[in-house]
Amino acid sequence: MAQVVLQDIVKSYGSLYAVNHVSLTVDDGEFVALVGPSGCGKTTTLNLVAGLLPMTDGDIVIGDRIVTDLDPKDRDIAMVFQNYALYPNKTVYKNLAFPLQMRKLPKDEIDQKVRAAAKVLDIVPLLERRPRELSGGQQQRVALGRALVRDPRVFLMDEPLSNLDAKLRVQMRTEIKRFHQDLNATIIYVTHDQLEAVTMADKMAVMNKGFLQQYDTPKNVFDNPVNTFVASFIGSPAMSLVPLEVVQRGDQAVLTNEAGWELPLSAMNTRKALKATTNKVVLGARHSTIKLHKSETVGAVPARVYTVEPTGDITFVQAFVGEAVVIVSLDPTVIVRPDEDVWLEFDQERMHLFDGETTMALSAA
Amino acid sequence: MSIATGRAASPLSARSAKKPNVFSRMAAHRTDYLYVLPALIVMMVVIAYPIYYTIELSFYRTPPNLQLRDKVWAGFDNYTAVLSSSVFHEVTLNTVIWTVASTFFSFVLGLGAALSLHREFIGRGLFRALLMIPYVVSAVAASYVWKWLYHSDFGVIGALAVQLGFTSEPINFLDNRQTVLSSLIVVNIWREFSFAMVMMMAGLQTVPEQLLRAAQVDGATPWNRFWHVTFPHLKGVSMVTVLLLMVANFNSIIIPFIMTGGGPADASHIWITHIYQLAFGRQQWGAAAAYAVILFIVMMALGYFYVKALTRGDEARQE
Amino acid sequence: MTTTATYERPRVRKPIDWWRWAGRGFITFIMLFATLPMLWMILTSVKTQFAAMQYPPQWWPAEPTLNSYIKLLNPNDQIGQDFLRYFGNSFYVSFLTTVLGVVVAVPAAYAFSRFRFPGRTFLFFSVLVRNMFPAVVFLVPLFILMRWLGLVNTHGSLVLTYLTFGLPLSIWLLKGFYDNIPIQLEQAARIDGATRFQAFLLIVMPLSSPGIIATSIFSFIGAWNEYIYAYTFLSRDDQMTLPVGIQRFFTEFATDWPGLMAATFLMSVPVVVMFLVLQKYFVQALTEGAVKH
Ligand SMILES: Nc1ncnc2c1ncn2[C@@H]1O[C@H](COP(=O)(O)OP(=O)(O)O)[C@@H](O)[C@H]1O
Ligand SMILES: [Mg+2]
Repeated sequence: MAQVVLQDIVKSYGSLYAVNHVSLTVDDGEFVALVGPSGCGKTTTLNLVAGLLPMTDGDIVIGDRIVTDLDPKDRDIAMVFQNYALYPNKTVYKNLAFPLQMRKLPKDEIDQKVRAAAKVLDIVPLLERRPRELSGGQQQRVALGRALVRDPRVFLMDEPLSNLDAKLRVQMRTEIKRFHQDLNATIIYVTHDQLEAVTMADKMAVMNKGFLQQYDTPKNVFDNPVNTFVASFIGSPAMSLVPLEVVQRGDQAVLTNEAGWELPLSAMNTRKALKATTNKVVLGARHSTIKLHKSETVGAVPARVYTVEPTGDITFVQAFVGEAVVIVSLDPTVIVRPDEDVWLEFDQERMHLFDGETTMALSAA
Repeated sequence: MSIATGRAASPLSARSAKKPNVFSRMAAHRTDYLYVLPALIVMMVVIAYPIYYTIELSFYRTPPNLQLRDKVWAGFDNYTAVLSSSVFHEVTLNTVIWTVASTFFSFVLGLGAALSLHREFIGRGLFRALLMIPYVVSAVAASYVWKWLYHSDFGVIGALAVQLGFTSEPINFLDNRQTVLSSLIVVNIWREFSFAMVMMMAGLQTVPEQLLRAAQVDGATPWNRFWHVTFPHLKGVSMVTVLLLMVANFNSIIIPFIMTGGGPADASHIWITHIYQLAFGRQQWGAAAAYAVILFIVMMALGYFYVKALTRGDEARQE
Repeated sequence: MTTTATYERPRVRKPIDWWRWAGRGFITFIMLFATLPMLWMILTSVKTQFAAMQYPPQWWPAEPTLNSYIKLLNPNDQIGQDFLRYFGNSFYVSFLTTVLGVVVAVPAAYAFSRFRFPGRTFLFFSVLVRNMFPAVVFLVPLFILMRWLGLVNTHGSLVLTYLTFGLPLSIWLLKGFYDNIPIQLEQAARIDGATRFQAFLLIVMPLSSPGIIATSIFSFIGAWNEYIYAYTFLSRDDQMTLPVGIQRFFTEFATDWPGLMAATFLMSVPVVVMFLVLQKYFVQALTEGAVKH
């Protein structure tokens, strides 16, 4: 296994930058998830690491070699594709054997490795079948097996679970995690599903429009999103974002909107708010840090209930604060109805403030 | 772990992108061209050159032996000669009748056959295969077979017509200015209606079963189902089919060439056979070339629709 | 205790399904239209010349004979010798056209499907447009070109010409097949250790074999059936292909119609057999592109 370093890599298609100056380091044995919305450049990044696309600029290091100019076959990587990319005219056995044949291993060694991999993945009875005779989950295992037989230095996975149904996806998620732990493998895992990234990865790299937004542990990304994009992308339900204005009242800052209400900020949040480049800021809060009051309360802002979604042990309420939708979680015993007037109290310790112009998180320091 | 670099984190500051020019892009893709090169060379030699040459020839008077040294500049003489020649109108009218009638009847018969064969029944595959044989065999074979069927003395069609009481004497189908063109058109339809059939059968398979069911539940009669559900779905295929038939008919030569040679008295000449005769029969190379150029222009118009129809969806496929 | 409700059962008489009967009638008509001429060809070919030339016609051969066929297939007979030679020539030209067509069309189609080089769309269209132009337009210039290349009166002139008939369709069809092969398969192969070429050869080629078969049938049938170029380019008897050669036997004196029908039948056998065996591919090739599923 080996580390992977992306040094300022760029991929452009004409004037479109699919990957725009991305740098990051994946340590040996680390599981890194590349997340972002569809079209943000994840697949392109992965294909660059694999060597399947010519890179416009930058370098890629695998282990201690700069592999930028090497063919995919010489990079010693394995890849699992979203649609599995199993060779349809070959049996499962031949699919697994193909990477070994290409490396000209002796026949008995191939056989032994194929059977070993098949055993690990529990697909021994399927060896003589063809891909189209397999279920989605089975195809998925074969695809993993084909990556596994060769003992590569890095595993690349491009949305390997997104074609599976929800239940199987959860099951395979744990299996891939086990696979990572057992092999101590270096894995770069692409997904558009932030939940997958959060639950599986040691670190996640959040991308948007070709740019790397944030690269950190899931917990840090969740707790300290660097900008409104990351804030709204990570977490389910997403962080609520309310665009507001800052007004200074003595040495305290207050947030306000057109409706005319004022929300006084704590000392620390005041310092953050006053760092904004203009008087526009965005208040961010996760559902669990907001308290809903049914009557007017000091330090709470007025809102109007839009929908109420009971999920069993928690009820989610969507409410309008001005034009912005805020999601609040409630104990199911509290009854609220659509169109009811409510008051929302934000936890000053756990709220986020973002610059209204640059969208970047504001820090007190 | 630290936060990513400031540049990366501000999504809107995309580096100003300058579009690389065509030549550097071509250079970057130079190996790609190797794959298409053999095809291009063949196509260029056998297409681009002849097109150029035909255009050139149409502006010269060339001796019958085609010795190009002796050609004489003629300006637009060949064109005016062609357009004002006495047979031009008849041949053009024949060409239009030939193309339109062949296309129309082939399409209608093909569509009818496709609709009747759409329902699953035993022997359907055999029927389809038999119907397609005329399309697969050479037009030369078709021409000889039908020449024999139309034979003035021993032709089976003439004999049948007498036996069934349509006429008292066997008709001389091919040696008669009134009947010759229609007789040839029948042969052409015989040969190519199954092309339309196959296309329309493929088209029919794309009609969503659910829509037909829904229409049935809504109380639509079979005719209404065809007219409101099936037919609209066949529009695209029909267009391509009609275009391909038109192009094929416009360009066809073998049937009139072998069966009548354009006769009697030019009654079955269409443009293509006429051009052939001008060139190889009367050695009027310039006039033939001028005809060909006019034909080019007509074909280009058709070609525009042809390419458009054929490449439908191709652009969409490019991600 | 149960109550039994009484329901009304409306009496329905199934109406005659006119559409179905119309369909059956139509199919009968069109089957007769398509097959009777072929049947008459076969019936004529097993008649004696005397039996064929009668009015009213002999509907069914009174004394069927295979004489015409025997004559055509007898290598010791002058006619048989010529016929078999023409048959061989046709086969040689069609086969060569087919093989070269595949060799040239496969890489081109692959490039049009996979690569995004500048001019791709233009080149692709210009290849397609070839089908728009009638053969006759190219006859004179090609004749001169072949003279210049020293190919007049060789089979090479025909093969080269037939290639250009077949290529546009072959490239178009094969491109459709390559478009439908996910690029991830090649990528997987390259990651598994294959070179670009190996990925193409070991993974893509086998998957596109239906397309290759389909285009091959088309090239072969097209070349086998071609008439006008062979008629114009070849003047030596020993080189003629079947469609041109056939008429030589029968038009010199009074036409031997049973002989001509037998020759026509024999000429049609290879393409019809090929079509019947590979029908699925043939139909797929015809309709590919025109019908988007
Ligand atoms: N061959 C290509 N030509 C032009 N643009 C492309 C090509 N491949 C990808 N792109 C563009 O690059 C961007 C990133 O694509 P991709 O990496 O596939 O996104 P993701 O995997 O994150 O969904 C998209 O906007 C896509 O349209
Ligand atoms: Mg992707």
